[in-house]
Amino acid sequence: MATMTKQARKKIWAFLALGVFAGLLLLPLFLSLPAGASGEAPALPASTAPPTAQAADAKPVEKARDVWYKTEGPVVGAPAPKTTDGPKDYPRYNFESRVLLWVANQQHLYYGSFVLAVPIFCLVVEYLGIITKDKAMARKYDQLAYDFIKISLTAYSLTAILGGILVFTYLTLYPSFFGYLSSIFRPVMHTYALLFVAESGTLYIYYYGWDKMREGFLKWVHLSMAVILNVIGTTLMFLANTWIAFMQSPAGVDAEGRYLGNIWHVIHTTLWNPINVHRILGNMAFGGGVVAAYAAYRFLTAKNDEERAHYDWMGYVAMFIGVCFLVPLPFAGYWLMREVYAYRQQMGITLMGGLLAWLFIIQAVMIGTLFLTTNYYLWQGMERMRGAERYQKYIKYMVFVLITCFIVWLTPHTMVMTPAELKAMGGQQHPVLGNYGVMSAKNGAINVIITTTVLSFIMYQRANKIPTVKWAPLGNAFLVGLFTMAYVNIIWLAIYGYYIPANVRVGLSVPQVATTLSCLFIGVTLNSVMLKGAKDTGPIAWGQISIRSQYALIMLATAFTWMMGLMGYIRSSVRLFWHVNEIMRDNSPWAFTHTIGFAANMISFNVLFFWLTIMFVFWLGTLGVKKAPVTAPVGQKVPVPAASH
Amino acid sequence: MTEPVSQVSMGKKIVFAIISFVAAGLYFHFLDIVLMDMQGLDYLYLFRK
Repeated sequence: MATMTKQARKKIWAFLALGVFAGLLLLPLFLSLPAGASGEAPALPASTAPPTAQAADAKPVEKARDVWYKTEGPVVGAPAPKTTDGPKDYPRYNFESRVLLWVANQQHLYYGSFVLAVPIFCLVVEYLGIITKDKAMARKYDQLAYDFIKISLTAYSLTAILGGILVFTYLTLYPSFFGYLSSIFRPVMHTYALLFVAESGTLYIYYYGWDKMREGFLKWVHLSMAVILNVIGTTLMFLANTWIAFMQSPAGVDAEGRYLGNIWHVIHTTLWNPINVHRILGNMAFGGGVVAAYAAYRFLTAKNDEERAHYDWMGYVAMFIGVCFLVPLPFAGYWLMREVYAYRQQMGITLMGGLLAWLFIIQAVMIGTLFLTTNYYLWQGMERMRGAERYQKYIKYMVFVLITCFIVWLTPHTMVMTPAELKAMGGQQHPVLGNYGVMSAKNGAINVIITTTVLSFIMYQRANKIPTVKWAPLGNAFLVGLFTMAYVNIIWLAIYGYYIPANVRVGLSVPQVATTLSCLFIGVTLNSVMLKGAKDTGPIAWGQISIRSQYALIMLATAFTWMMGLMGYIRSSVRLFWHVNEIMRDNSPWAFTHTIGFAANMISFNVLFFWLTIMFVFWLGTLGVKKAPVTAPVGQKVPVPAASH
Repeated sequence: MTEPVSQVSMGKKIVFAIISFVAAGLYFHFLDIVLMDMQGLDYLYLFRK
């Protein structure tokens, strides 16, 4: 010990403090862990009283069966309340309580998603800044990461405020339901609150310590804090997901809703992990979209070329990160839907073939819009690179493929019609177009759309570069072969699906997805390797891009926001008249499904409200801004912006 | 010695293209069979009937 340096001692104390802190945070969860998942009663304490007296005093432990895990466990909770329409269970204003809750929930979710996604961007960008050897670029990355976190800081306060509003809305308008939920999730809610404190502390130290920890070892410490920040943030989201997953696919309770003492069963419901994966990808894509829109806004209002170049670059980076998470998002959604079908087939049918099916058509339009816009932005972005002209001729074919697939992708299975229209068409399905309204065609269409987006990205990557590696001709040939055969395979599987039974057909989606992902991973990796040491045809003229591209970024962000609102509504309303599916019935006057028009208006209102408030946050971010140290890389002239559009 | 990209003969290009198409085709076919098999499904269901 005598030889231990002062710094080493400090490190040990820091680790100990961190361990104690983490232990305290997770204490509520540990305390609530049961004796065993199988439902054995906890061991009785030893007593000096005679065994006969003990037996007379002890109440028999009632056991019940878990609705999902089918294991037996001791009943330790009260049954789910049987609510009635009245001020006791549903106190209200002279207004629909569900709508108030809808707005509070959605706004909290938008901001929550944003502040969870942005620190992940910061981590990636700050890390890039540390490992980049070019000092000018390293400074740019560092400034970008700082810009990102600065935006999220104000948004973080708003998230907390909206969280408070949400809890109060629950407590005042749905007290019985919230009481039941919190009686089951008590330790999870405590852990959540403590983690929120930890998240706040880490975020503030991370932000305010930026300048102090700018160099050397301290910079790595700073980066580690970004890791901690993201671990806490992701855990927070996973915990919040337990509540919605429980409401949709409850577990850990018996048929009456009585808690059986196993907190892990309540947390780990069947839809929890699919929701976790879907949400983390969705949040990242959404966060990327919002930051890209911020950059677009700053680009459009830029006063000089330097600023325009910086915000063009920022918009590209944010869009790129967002799209990286957008590409796997439909697959995560598909997995979630598969799990929903596996849990309750009727729930899946309600979602995709029944009451809510038309909302899925709207969703298809939004997804198609997202991919079309992404491709459009990439093609516009190629304009700022000399040498990209050689790829321009392919764009019209790609547009044709994308539009064709988009039309197939949004074709409805059946239409809402009058009897006369039904008679004229000869049935609910159109004799020709009806063939495209089935999953076989739609799976093929979306996979072709994603594969084409990957192709656009590869074209963008090599737009101003000519590979010089010896094996470039073979590499190019392989890229052509890979993409051509991928298109052939996807379309073949889509057609094949029409000729085989449904139980076999549903499995074809897996090789289709694998084909698309192969193009993504093999194609992008091969292209990147080929471009090492490639000949430049000219630098990227940041800032020299059409204004239309910036509106495309804003469009991308708006589409993300609208789609999040839509999908949240779909997932929530599939419970129909249940607070907790098949456990606790919703007996309020609003236990019905709204019309599509009303729901769409509500989603639009939420989107507008979010964008108005986030614009305020952006504006706040510009107040008291110090001049950003934007420096063009050595030897690269900051370009003159495009003169006409 | 680095061979300039533009100077690769047409014959070589055709050979590369054939190799690439065959390799990618075999890869995707293999993927289809294996991934269906992993789900306990028969990829060649229609042809075995």
